[in-house]
Amino acid sequence: MLIKDTQDLEAEVTLLESRLQDARAQLAAAEYPSPPSSWAVKEPYNNINNTKLTSATRTSLHALLLLSDSALPLGSFAYSSGLESYLAHNKSPRTTAIRSFHRFLKLSIASIASTSLPYVLAGYRHPSTLDTLDNDLDASTPCIVAQRASIAQGRALIGVWERAFRVSFAGKPVSEDAEAAATAIDDLSDALKSCLEEDEDLGPKGHFAPLWGVVCRAMGLDLEQTAHVFVMNHAKAVLSAAVRAGVMGPYQAQNVLASQELQDTIMRRIEREWDTPVEQAGQVVPALDLWVGRHELLYSRIFNS
Amino acid sequence: MRQPTMPIPSPFQSSIAKPGQGKVVLSLLPPNNPTLTTLTYKYPLKLVPRTGGFVPSPDSSAHSDTRPSNPVHLYLLTYGGGLLPGDHIEVSITLEPRTRMVVTTPQGSTKIFKTTPNNTGTAPNVIKGHRNQMPANNHISDMSQQTLDVNIGRQAALCYLPDPSVPFKHSRYAQLQTFTVDATAKGNDRSSVCVLDWVTQGRTSRGENWNFQFWRGRNEVWAEDDKGNRQLLLRDSVILDDESGDLDATSVSNEVEVEEGVKGKVENTTHDTNTALAKPADMPPQAPAGLTPLNLIAERTRPHGVVGTLILSGPVFEALGSFMLSQFQSQPRIGSRNWSDHAPSSVSEPSISNKGDVTWTAARVRAGFVLVKFGAKDFETAKHWLGGLIREEGSVIREFGEEALCCL
Repeated sequence: MLIKDTQDLEAEVTLLESRLQDARAQLAAAEYPSPPSSWAVKEPYNNINNTKLTSATRTSLHALLLLSDSALPLGSFAYSSGLESYLAHNKSPRTTAIRSFHRFLKLSIASIASTSLPYVLAGYRHPSTLDTLDNDLDASTPCIVAQRASIAQGRALIGVWERAFRVSFAGKPVSEDAEAAATAIDDLSDALKSCLEEDEDLGPKGHFAPLWGVVCRAMGLDLEQTAHVFVMNHAKAVLSAAVRAGVMGPYQAQNVLASQELQDTIMRRIEREWDTPVEQAGQVVPALDLWVGRHELLYSRIFNS
Repeated sequence: MRQPTMPIPSPFQSSIAKPGQGKVVLSLLPPNNPTLTTLTYKYPLKLVPRTGGFVPSPDSSAHSDTRPSNPVHLYLLTYGGGLLPGDHIEVSITLEPRTRMVVTTPQGSTKIFKTTPNNTGTAPNVIKGHRNQMPANNHISDMSQQTLDVNIGRQAALCYLPDPSVPFKHSRYAQLQTFTVDATAKGNDRSSVCVLDWVTQGRTSRGENWNFQFWRGRNEVWAEDDKGNRQLLLRDSVILDDESGDLDATSVSNEVEVEEGVKGKVENTTHDTNTALAKPADMPPQAPAGLTPLNLIAERTRPHGVVGTLILSGPVFEALGSFMLSQFQSQPRIGSRNWSDHAPSSVSEPSISNKGDVTWTAARVRAGFVLVKFGAKDFETAKHWLGGLIREEGSVIREFGEEALCCL
């Protein structure tokens, strides 16, 4: 199982990397009339064959690969983001199971984009507001199940940053921005440690989305990479859960991940939420909150959410 | 005291407010006399207070040291029973320490009228002449909006169980409800809030099934200390957007036109088949994952015809919150019988959308809040279910009287 997993993951990483390049190439080619003005501009990866890589580009590419790696120890595998509960609530015959899963995937991506992506973007843009973002996201998380998942992954991300990435990235910060972001992570980490004893449930939590934005900034990714990897990692987690829940096989899952349709969906959701302020973040799929919240009512569970 | 005492009953005071604005301050005058020290409102909003309707029994309070003050009932009305495009209702309520207020909407559901160039047929004629119609092509200004801002002092309590909002076809609406509680109050001195916010698929009698363009409901609870520092305690935000305003959503607008054509057929059918009927014949066949579902909002709320949120916090609603939690946790486990027989995967399980087709969840989130979220097949089902639970538990009726539940 483990070996198989590793192989799958490796295959996945290779595939994703090439997919990402393709997506960026397309992006650069496409006219993007709306917000993300930076999208149509220079694309470092298009020029890989022609130009020499600058060290900044190489660092950012390296960071991108690290953060998009399924082996990043965030424990994301433990969560199905409501898929398990959705399947239990929407029993469908084998023949339509795939179709039903596609529905879920789309709903799930739309939901993560509308609820969490604004926090990722805000975390990236304003690392110093991390504590407020953390508080506000905690206030906006409607159920314990989702809250647990977000906090566990957020704290794991802090752990990875502190134990693994910080030495390489904070030691020689790419820019002042990156340095500020690294400081923000340290501050939150300190706050988390110092309030462990207090039962105060309004203290810092370490939610995943804003931390993701800040960590990506500290590691020199640009904003669109940050957003794309965030949503893409979510899609990967859902598909990985689907494979383990027996909805589809690993090849089929890769097929979905590689599909133009998924790319379009991700792009469209990111574009939609690009300028959404965090106060306007909200659930666009009310049914999803119900499935996630009712996960704890499942008689048997293989996932934590 | 059937009518509340009003020290300044000036009829001219309402001229201070802008159209649609209203302001209410409820104070407790000694010894224990709830008094509306401010009450202003301006057309199309109307605020009607009523006191003395219900007197809680002395021992019914959650905190026994002080006798709770009598609740004041505030009726929130708009002319025509709903909101027209461009209407902006703005209500500010202050509940001073130890006061209690019940807010209801006695006109039935809050109708959100449609946002289209000629507002034909949907809005009552009486209203049409009175309110300035905004240019219909402007998406922002012709949105109906309602903001409610409530300050709740220590030991004060707000019980706000309104009717659902019913957005008509093509309507656009945004609602922001902000509740501010006293951050310095601890334990039984805390402010108490009970807020229900729910939205339906529209007028089912006319075949509407989530056919509006936009509906946003945002509820926020903030804690504010004596220095004015504010912390967000809870934010509940639901956005139902057909995304027809997006730049590249040409397929969606096509769909709207075609759907108009089959409107006659859509009526009197069940909501589940509406989307199928509305599917235009000349649309390209959908890809398996269906990039552009026909009705985005219906797709995201399916199978529900109404979705809503109940927010409970503070000592007065502690008992109700615990009751909801225990009811939720005692629901039958999903799939508990399934493991013994593998074969019948095609048989749908009746136990999932159990009694009354209500799917719900309750959780104790931060700061002691209990958050209940539900989806039900229709308004009547949700109303019956929620009203039933609140009546069965009983503390709301003991503290605020039966009239607090008049919308349920």
